[in-house]
Amino acid sequence: MLTVILQQGINGVVVGSLYVLVALGLTLIYGVLVQINFAHADIVTLGAFAAYFVTHLLSGNYFAGIAVALVVGGILGWLVNATIFLPLRERGSELLPLIATIGVSIMLQNAMLILLGPIPYAFNTPYSSQVIRFSGIFLTVQNVLIIVVSALTIALLYAFMKFTFLGKALRAVSQDRETAGLMGINPNYVIMLTFVIASALAGMSGAMLGPVLVLTPFAGTTVIVKAFAIVIIGGFGNVEGTIIAGLLVGLIESYTTQFLDPGLIDIVVFALLLLTLAVRPTGLVAEKREENV
Amino acid sequence: MLSFGIPMLSSRRFWFVMAAIVIGLLPLVFTDSYWQTNLIVCAINVLLAVGLDFVLGYAGQLNLGQSAFYGIGAYTSTLLIMNLGTPFWIAFVCGVLLSGFAGMLLSIFAVRLRGHYLAIASLGFAVITYQILLNWISLTQGPLGIYAIAPPPPLGIPGLPAIEFSNLANLFYLTAGFALCTYILLDQLVRSPIGETLTAIREDEVSAASLGINCQRWKVFAFAVSSAVAGAAGCFYASFVGTLVPDAFFITESFTILAMVIVGGMGTLIGPVLGAILLTVLPEVLRGIGDLRLIVYGVSVTLVVLFMPGGMVQAGRLIFGRLHRRAISAEAGSAP
Amino acid sequence: MIYRPFRKLRVPAIVIGGLLVASASQLHAADKVIKIGALFPISGPGSYFGVQDKQGVELAVEQLNKSGVNGYKFEVQYEDSACSPLPASQAAKRLIDQFKPDVAIGEECSDATLAIMPIMAQAKVPLLNAGSSSIKVTQPGNPWTFRIMPNEVMQGVDIATNAYKRLNARTAVLLHENTNAGIGNAKVFAETFTKLGGKILADIGFGRDVNDFTSIATRVAGLGKIDVIPTYTLEGQGLKITQALAQAGVVKGGGGKAIQLGTIWLPFGFEQKAGKAALGYVRIVQFDPTDKRAVVQDFIKAFKAKYNQAPTHINAHAYDQVMLIADVVRRGGKDAQSIRDGLAATKNFSGVTGSAEFDKTNQNIKMDTVHYMETMPDLSWKALKWN
Repeated sequence: MLTVILQQGINGVVVGSLYVLVALGLTLIYGVLVQINFAHADIVTLGAFAAYFVTHLLSGNYFAGIAVALVVGGILGWLVNATIFLPLRERGSELLPLIATIGVSIMLQNAMLILLGPIPYAFNTPYSSQVIRFSGIFLTVQNVLIIVVSALTIALLYAFMKFTFLGKALRAVSQDRETAGLMGINPNYVIMLTFVIASALAGMSGAMLGPVLVLTPFAGTTVIVKAFAIVIIGGFGNVEGTIIAGLLVGLIESYTTQFLDPGLIDIVVFALLLLTLAVRPTGLVAEKREENV
Repeated sequence: MLSFGIPMLSSRRFWFVMAAIVIGLLPLVFTDSYWQTNLIVCAINVLLAVGLDFVLGYAGQLNLGQSAFYGIGAYTSTLLIMNLGTPFWIAFVCGVLLSGFAGMLLSIFAVRLRGHYLAIASLGFAVITYQILLNWISLTQGPLGIYAIAPPPPLGIPGLPAIEFSNLANLFYLTAGFALCTYILLDQLVRSPIGETLTAIREDEVSAASLGINCQRWKVFAFAVSSAVAGAAGCFYASFVGTLVPDAFFITESFTILAMVIVGGMGTLIGPVLGAILLTVLPEVLRGIGDLRLIVYGVSVTLVVLFMPGGMVQAGRLIFGRLHRRAISAEAGSAP
Repeated sequence: MIYRPFRKLRVPAIVIGGLLVASASQLHAADKVIKIGALFPISGPGSYFGVQDKQGVELAVEQLNKSGVNGYKFEVQYEDSACSPLPASQAAKRLIDQFKPDVAIGEECSDATLAIMPIMAQAKVPLLNAGSSSIKVTQPGNPWTFRIMPNEVMQGVDIATNAYKRLNARTAVLLHENTNAGIGNAKVFAETFTKLGGKILADIGFGRDVNDFTSIATRVAGLGKIDVIPTYTLEGQGLKITQALAQAGVVKGGGGKAIQLGTIWLPFGFEQKAGKAALGYVRIVQFDPTDKRAVVQDFIKAFKAKYNQAPTHINAHAYDQVMLIADVVRRGGKDAQSIRDGLAATKNFSGVTGSAEFDKTNQNIKMDTVHYMETMPDLSWKALKWN
């Protein structure tokens, strides 16, 4: 029994790390722009496909695939900002950009469906079949890779936000856009940068998720709703909170599967979401945020 | 309302009568079962869209959970009818009430949250509802589905033969008639002081509260009305399609209804009607182009939001405004 | 002047006369067309089926129309039923109102099929199905619906019995997607297996959006000695499950002892994607590419030539549906009613997936549509002659 509990804990951390990668992008965008990008899911999917094609068809190696996915994600993020969020910024409505991204999401998914077809692609890396076993626990090299890459990414992002000028500018804009502007920071530039980083993250998470997901044009949508839940549970715009919430959701998934039923995962996760919103809407991890919640 | 100087056209009653006449004529124009089916779907979508706009466009509450209330209405009425033998209209009322009550539950969150928080909370509510419908197999049959749901029972009017609702035209009259009545009711609400209250809450809650408005109570009211209307749509859906599976109430349904409201024109009542009709008919008309159908759908939604955020209503006003100005300047120009 | 009446009309008359003759001959040719309505999911995730169905249908129609059957050619109209009751009903009605087919084929998803059956029956158009496994499709005995693939009861009873008797399995863990077909198939297996004396250690259902099966595999690993793991899911998730079970050391492909069992959900080519993890997998396939019959080998050759890929069972099903209709036309079917009667009277039809003969509920009861395969270490199939 102890082995099982330990194993499910490891499974939870692996899955959670993947969720964190997806959710980080969302929370960054929200922090800076107070907007939700529904097309984030499709950037994840496109990142996964980009990595797939580089790895399988161009016989590149997996890491090259990840790098390409990162770039593809960044470009898409820039595009979405330039065509949707920037023009709509002046209109003032909270809802319009959200709807526009829903429309973009539908377009992207169906375009992918036409180009790539509905039959799942088998994204196998050499690492997913190498299994490490010790004292009853099993772990694939792919899983180790996921944890390492996620941890590295998060550390880099953290350092960026805390120690570089751009990172501080980002935080400034997310706290108070007007004052940041008065301080000489160009908010539009910072927002564009945020989009690029967040979407690059999404693309990269797609590349990491590719071997895990059932890879079809709809792959991103299977993780995005949970990513939203994670962003809220952790607190919109709060990076530490997102990490903790992501790992928490991953653990909830594996333990619910073990002791209850996989079908109940969504109910447990979203019940936690509603509980958070009812009791502590700014998220489980406290952050000093002045917001009219 | 632009009336080109003809008094009758500015009378609301005139337009309602016109609508009733159009509803009466439609099944006579479209006589094949395919298009009559589409008309009924239009009517149901009109109900959903108008209901959503009441809480979204008028009260300003970002509600993405409409699919949940739709489903609750459908399953409640169906289960009562099939398991307990409840007469259709009593089950209908129960479905509407239960959906309304669920809406009030969600409004507990609305009371404390704003903007995107509410959006995600309502989305979470929709996910939970869907998962319950899917997993509670002993109650709802889940993915196994409920089949052979009968249409509403025949309506007997003394002196006339009973109206059978297995006849698609009659079912259309029923649903569209109900939609029209709902529209008229909401229209009265919106133009009454209640409507002003909701608009005040939408524009600036803090100021509204300072005016003595009990925001909490009115938000609950808006949610209850909106979800009750969705529940009614659900009841009609079940008895019309005859087959009930949880997948019909997946969260993407919420987005579809939202798109109808936006494309039609949020914050007006006629907007959602136009949006619902367009976005129901468009995919059917586009069936001929196969794969590209949904892409066109996505493109239209995006373009509307980017370039015409007021939707079809805004477009309509622009066009009529231009015509009106031309009419006036023509008059002025021809004055001696 | 010689009186020549109608002189100016000469040229127009010739032209009109020519047109009349041409259109009359067109009418004559148009008369001899059998209209097949195809209701398949073409949009959304269900298009997984629709895309493959279309391939099979197109190949069959192309072959048949080269020389026609009894002077008839075949014309197909596809409508998108989207794997869901309401769109399927709309598609069916549109098909009937606008195309007026003589016969219809489809759908794949059980809910959609059940929704369109009454519409077809009311329009008196026979519906030939080769994709839905739910028993409800034929059990009530609808005279206008025919199914050529074995239903969940036929498959489930057969594989559970074989597992108990031939594989000596006494314990089982069920893994299935939470859909009509998944739950139904799992239920039949469980009932048969326990009646024979076996024990079901766990029945684990999951949604179609689950991606990571490591947790499920871990849970299965903790259940003790498992003989067989009947798995009911499509290829995307099936791949992940098999790999996860191997990683957890549960199945033969991962060094364990359990044997995965499956029915007709996984296509040929699955092994190549799953790799070593699929070793020892035993399953029912409806389409056996190692079948030596000429009709099978010709089909594979023609499919490869047209599409440059090996055919799956979904392609094969679609192909057989059209070929069966052609067989009925050969026997004299020419409109909805006669095709319906012809289908009911089918004997000695040998398709790519097996033979067809319908019982009084219009279910095909020929068990040679149920072929058993086992995955060998070199990832090829070995046909187990259990039927």
